[in-house]
Amino acid sequence: MSPSNIGFMIYLKQAWLVILLALVYGAGLAGVQVGLSPRIEQNKKDETYRVIPDLVPGADARWIEETRVPVEGKEVLVYRANTQAGDPMGWVVPASGQGFADKIEILIGLDPEVHTITGVYVLNQKETPGLGDYITGIDFTSRFAGKSTGERLEAVRGGAVKDNQIDAITGATISSNAVTSIVNMAVETLGGALRERASGKGKSG
Amino acid sequence: MNRDEPTAGERFLNGILPENPVYRQLLGMCPTLAVTGAMKPAMTMVAATAFVLICANLMVSSIRHLLKPHLRILVFTLTIATFVTIADRFLAAYLYDMSKQLGPYVPLIIVNCLIISRCEICASKQGLWESFADAVGMSLGFGLALASIATVREILGSGTWFGLSVLPESWPGWGVLVLPPGAFLTMGLLIAGVEWWGARQRAVEKKSVRKAEAA
Amino acid sequence: MSAEPKPPSAEPVSRDTPRFSIASSPHLLDSSRSTQGMMVDVLIGLAPVLLVSLIVFRSYALLQVGLCVVSCLVFEALCAGMRGRSLPLWDGSAAVTGVILGLSLPWSAPWYIAVIGSAVAIGLAKWVFGGLGYNLFNPAMVGRAFVMLSFAREMGTSAYVRADASIDAVTTATPLAAAKMESVMPDLWPLFVGIHNGSLGETSALACLIGGVYLCIRRTASWEIPAGVILSAAVFAGLASGIGLSPLSWFHHLLSGSLLFGAFFIATDPVSSPLTPKGKWIFGAGVGFFIILIRVFSGYPEGVMFAVLLMNAAVPLINRLTRPVPLGGLPTVKEAVG
Repeated sequence: MSPSNIGFMIYLKQAWLVILLALVYGAGLAGVQVGLSPRIEQNKKDETYRVIPDLVPGADARWIEETRVPVEGKEVLVYRANTQAGDPMGWVVPASGQGFADKIEILIGLDPEVHTITGVYVLNQKETPGLGDYITGIDFTSRFAGKSTGERLEAVRGGAVKDNQIDAITGATISSNAVTSIVNMAVETLGGALRERASGKGKSG
Repeated sequence: MNRDEPTAGERFLNGILPENPVYRQLLGMCPTLAVTGAMKPAMTMVAATAFVLICANLMVSSIRHLLKPHLRILVFTLTIATFVTIADRFLAAYLYDMSKQLGPYVPLIIVNCLIISRCEICASKQGLWESFADAVGMSLGFGLALASIATVREILGSGTWFGLSVLPESWPGWGVLVLPPGAFLTMGLLIAGVEWWGARQRAVEKKSVRKAEAA
Repeated sequence: MSAEPKPPSAEPVSRDTPRFSIASSPHLLDSSRSTQGMMVDVLIGLAPVLLVSLIVFRSYALLQVGLCVVSCLVFEALCAGMRGRSLPLWDGSAAVTGVILGLSLPWSAPWYIAVIGSAVAIGLAKWVFGGLGYNLFNPAMVGRAFVMLSFAREMGTSAYVRADASIDAVTTATPLAAAKMESVMPDLWPLFVGIHNGSLGETSALACLIGGVYLCIRRTASWEIPAGVILSAAVFAGLASGIGLSPLSWFHHLLSGSLLFGAFFIATDPVSSPLTPKGKWIFGAGVGFFIILIRVFSGYPEGVMFAVLLMNAAVPLINRLTRPVPLGGLPTVKEAVG
């Protein structure tokens, strides 16, 4: 036996249990992953699909198309809600930005021509419990529905007067502002590309 | 087997109060502070930790004669990480909302010192039955501690328990108790309470011993 | 809980806990200074502030401050009893904590805020650490931080404003909130005399100055701390408005919010501030810096409370770094750092 082989034998004598366990555990985990991952992926998709009908009125989860839109050199995944015949009913756009505490992730519903906001849903946020986290409530998100994309939206305190104003949550102006500016940003960066898609190739896969 | 080691029954009882992982050993502080804002996430965390603890203890105990002293920590970590990953995947598959809420704290069970300390103290030295009793006792103790903290924080902080309203609608939630500082405050005060109670018990015992001696 | 058994072997707890005045050398004996005397001085210093707040907020100020003082005294008695001490109520420290806490609350705060704030200030911030002289953090500010984080709605900027109230001052937003949210510049004269909205004790810069200067002349408060706070706040506020980060001038920053109230009455708490003059300068400068930092960059319009608490935490370190050389000792680095 060569010296390197002896070294290897010593190594194996010491470590065979670790190696064996690593193999057994690895195989077990692979099994768990294979068994459960479809379900986990489904859970994630389910959440997005579950809220799409709230964001695009009349949309049906059965006829939703995932498509990628190029924005500033990157591909952004957006969802297009179609009628049964395949005509576009609206878009659902994921967007995110900085909130009071941490990143806020939202989904925005838009009509096919991107003239009107049809809904907003907050997917993930870590705002102050009992205050900033009211942005997830339907009371707040419903304030965006029906707003025009023509003008930048702004969150105001103590009662919205103009059409482009959103009533901010009392005591959580910053969280309210954050959601509003995320919506503005998404409409500005994606609006043009989506409008093109809707009119140009309405029925493309 | 070493005669000095505690029996299965002693192991089980020790875990619940005399050696309570949170109140007496101050182990596993990360989940204790992070997920006790409400009962539901706290109890999910307890269940996941108990699963990992019991499986790891059984696994380590069954291979304890094969362990090499200088590689044992590696084996413990490997075993714990495996069961944590299994728990994490199961939560994501069957309790998706809860898994989303607990976020990184499920994978972080790997670094919960409670588990590796039980592998070292009990499972690598004692048989399957004792290790199992030890893991169950420690899990119960951990559950008791998290439940007590989460109960205080959820009831005072949100006026609910397990998501059910227990206080009148007009209750002003003590927001700070739901926030991270509330975890430190509640835990500190509860530990102080447990210490105070313990000191009282010891004083009473001493007194009765002295009385018996005097008699 | 009050029936805590005394350990049989321990020495009997003395009726009067000894109090030590801690200061760096030279030590001049001044037998007229007692805890009680200092606390009476603080109350006299707070009198002008109380007066203005009674004029501006009328009965609200009386109720709020009165409730805080009563709660603080009750909790002080309770905690002292639990620790088996004789009632230390008459050293006046609990009353001072109560007045300062009350003056730092909004006029509209509901009763439970005053009670919970007092309980936390006295129980958690003071007695958990061992009572007067042992607290790391300013008790009134810990109490306020607790209720501020708990009841954000009742303590936040919107709590100050009540458009239909019978008191003129509270129909508009506080100056700092107005400046932050709507970029409204407050007039300097109302800021100076105090006819505007805000926490009960913070409105009048004039009253804070009168009371504060009295405390400094009486040496109850160390003048280095308010001087440090005001100077550093002025410098950093000037910087912030100079590069366009803040719509307010440095002078507005000094007069608005509770900066002066905090500089003279909160930061000067002898227990939770450093011992040496040099340390006091560092402490004051730190408080001033954090006030402006929080006002300019955070979601809160005012930063005095968090600034004082942050610097409280740094006090042991400041004390360590500014330890004076003993008379005749060698100023070696090792000794100075310990």
